[in-house]
Amino acid sequence: MDIAFIAQIFPKLLAGLPLTLLLAVLSLLGGGLIALGLSGLRASSWIGARVADFYVYIFRGTPLLIQIFLIYYGLAQFPAVRHSVLWPLLREPYVCAVLALMLNDGAYTSEILRGGLRAVSTGAIEAARVSGMTRLTMLRRIVLPLAFRQALPAYGAEITSMVKATSLASVVTLMEITGIARAEVSETYRAIEIFLCAAAIYLVLVTVIARAVDWLEQHLSPYRRPTGARSLA
Amino acid sequence: MKPITVRLTDIRKSFGGQEVLRGVDLAARDGDVIAIIGASGSGKSTLLRCIPLLEIPDQGEVSVGDAQIRIRDSGHRFSRAERQTVRRLRGQLGFVFQSFNLWPHMTALQNVMEVPLHVQGRPRAECREEAEAMLAKVGLADKFDAWPAHLSGGQQQRVAIARALAMRPRALLFDEPTSALDPELVGEVLRVIRALAEEGRTMLIVTHEMTFAREVSNQAIYLQDGRVEEQGPPEQVFLDPQSERCRRFVGMSRGEG
Amino acid sequence: MDESLTLLGFGPEGWGQVLLNGGLMTLAVSACAFALGLGLGTLCAWARIAGSAPVQRLAQGYGVVMRGVPDLLVIYLFYFGGRQIASAVAKQFGHVGPVEISGFAAGCLAIGLLSGATQAEVLRGAFHAIAPGTLEAARVTGMRRWTMFPRIIAPLALRTALPGLGNQWQSVIKESALVSVTGLVEALRAVTVAANSTELPFLFFLAGGGIYLAITTISGLLFRIAEWRSMRGQAAATGRG
Repeated sequence: MDIAFIAQIFPKLLAGLPLTLLLAVLSLLGGGLIALGLSGLRASSWIGARVADFYVYIFRGTPLLIQIFLIYYGLAQFPAVRHSVLWPLLREPYVCAVLALMLNDGAYTSEILRGGLRAVSTGAIEAARVSGMTRLTMLRRIVLPLAFRQALPAYGAEITSMVKATSLASVVTLMEITGIARAEVSETYRAIEIFLCAAAIYLVLVTVIARAVDWLEQHLSPYRRPTGARSLA
Repeated sequence: MKPITVRLTDIRKSFGGQEVLRGVDLAARDGDVIAIIGASGSGKSTLLRCIPLLEIPDQGEVSVGDAQIRIRDSGHRFSRAERQTVRRLRGQLGFVFQSFNLWPHMTALQNVMEVPLHVQGRPRAECREEAEAMLAKVGLADKFDAWPAHLSGGQQQRVAIARALAMRPRALLFDEPTSALDPELVGEVLRVIRALAEEGRTMLIVTHEMTFAREVSNQAIYLQDGRVEEQGPPEQVFLDPQSERCRRFVGMSRGEG
Repeated sequence: MDESLTLLGFGPEGWGQVLLNGGLMTLAVSACAFALGLGLGTLCAWARIAGSAPVQRLAQGYGVVMRGVPDLLVIYLFYFGGRQIASAVAKQFGHVGPVEISGFAAGCLAIGLLSGATQAEVLRGAFHAIAPGTLEAARVTGMRRWTMFPRIIAPLALRTALPGLGNQWQSVIKESALVSVTGLVEALRAVTVAANSTELPFLFFLAGGGIYLAITTISGLLFRIAEWRSMRGQAAATGRG
């Protein structure tokens, strides 16, 4: 192992960390909004539910990389797009990558949200209805808090999986961690050292996020932990 | 005569072509404790669930205190004004479920405080004080901060009763409150309900505990096939029923327990 | 529209044959990677259930690392890292310059390792879902461990694991698209080549999406049938993953 080389490569790779994080945060935010929109659509009507199902089916059934290519390279096929006011945005690899990551995350997150909502027991909802709560109060005080707690572990996995997915942005020339690593390799041909360093950065990042989500889960749902009080039920 | 708190008029309800309630009338006056008994499938739980409109009858009238809802046809959709009335109606009832239905993400105290604080909009300090008093009353003064999942079934049901009481209801409805409990935990819950009856609270209780029902009620109703088959003071319904089927039912129950 | 059909078709102008070959290559890479992952997953699940403390920790560490690193990076590591090692070895024997290695092998290895970590979790969960009474019933007959595994444990665990393994297969198919970065002409590479030479990227990437969708849908259906068949005789179907 060439310690000097590694000491030199680490800071270079870390320079890509802000972009990696930004891509992840933006796509998670956008994806979250899309997921909320999809569950609204699902609740609206039969047609709406089928449209949401189709969206999820398409985005979960195809590789993310092809979704990125379709947006980045594919849209340019149409003169109408190239001449539209949006073109200065859509020709940016950054915008295309975020767009694809968002659309993709929205599909997965909507399934997680759906699972969380389904796990809210009818008993808890009945107890809320019978106490004269309005639908809004019920949603705010009972349904969403329970669904969120239920979905948290799965959503934590989705967060880490999005952080990893941002590495695909390197394929459309973005210089986040993987992009920088790839460029360094083509200069130095020292693939093993460089990619291992990049992997270590992701590993630490993902571990930190997983720990944070665990902490939040423990904090929000202490009742899932067995404690001194014996459950006799 | 005391004023009527809960009144049901000609309640009918079917599930998938099966008639579960075939025109039931019922009136509970202030301070009444009404025991509703009957075999499984007699419609007694459905009847109780019709009072807060957890089940919406196909036809009939429900009134609780100053709130009144009338349904003329099945598949009825409530208007905005009606939904408001339904909430006002529900706000005057405390409902205790067979399976407790505590909110799992709230502690015992939070469960009891939830409705006074976030639905009735009463001041926090007052809600807290009253919630603590209610929990103490059901014998759980040491469990304020316990999570439902960490309580026994009997304790959970007592929290649920405290939660119902904290709403300051005009009437309490119990839907087989001890059926989901292990036998050794039934007593603690029945004791609490009995104490509430002695306070003079208006209550409607669907139960299989015949001895308890006879002792605690001042009126009993025997349902059979969705109709009131026998109705009267508990001594009559439990010990000397007019109807042959009711006689067989209470006789069998006595034989069992 | 007609032009599009001609381009996607099997005629002299069409790219149909190229896309079909790409799709088959995707299936081949996925199948090899999945099989490798199943082997590794079984091994790791076994290590975590029955292994000694250090073996357990090793298996656990493998899982943590594989789940914490982007798939693309692992593929890069195996492909370019493999080339680096191969070149270094060749240099010892007097060969000068970079040595090419198989994108297929590097891709299978990388995705197999990644998938193995998740498959281990699926299998371990399935093992723990076996009612302890069932195993005791086998043990009480004097069955040996080596008989118990193929006769009792594996069939029961596989039944529970089937939905999870089905999901893994779907992931492997989608991950296999990343192997295109090694230059292996699987489905995504094939449509990229077609998109570049025809200058119709939208058409061909859309067609590429169609290829993956067809593969994931059909194999999803097959897994569901397998699940349904394996559930026969069980009282209640368990929830789908």
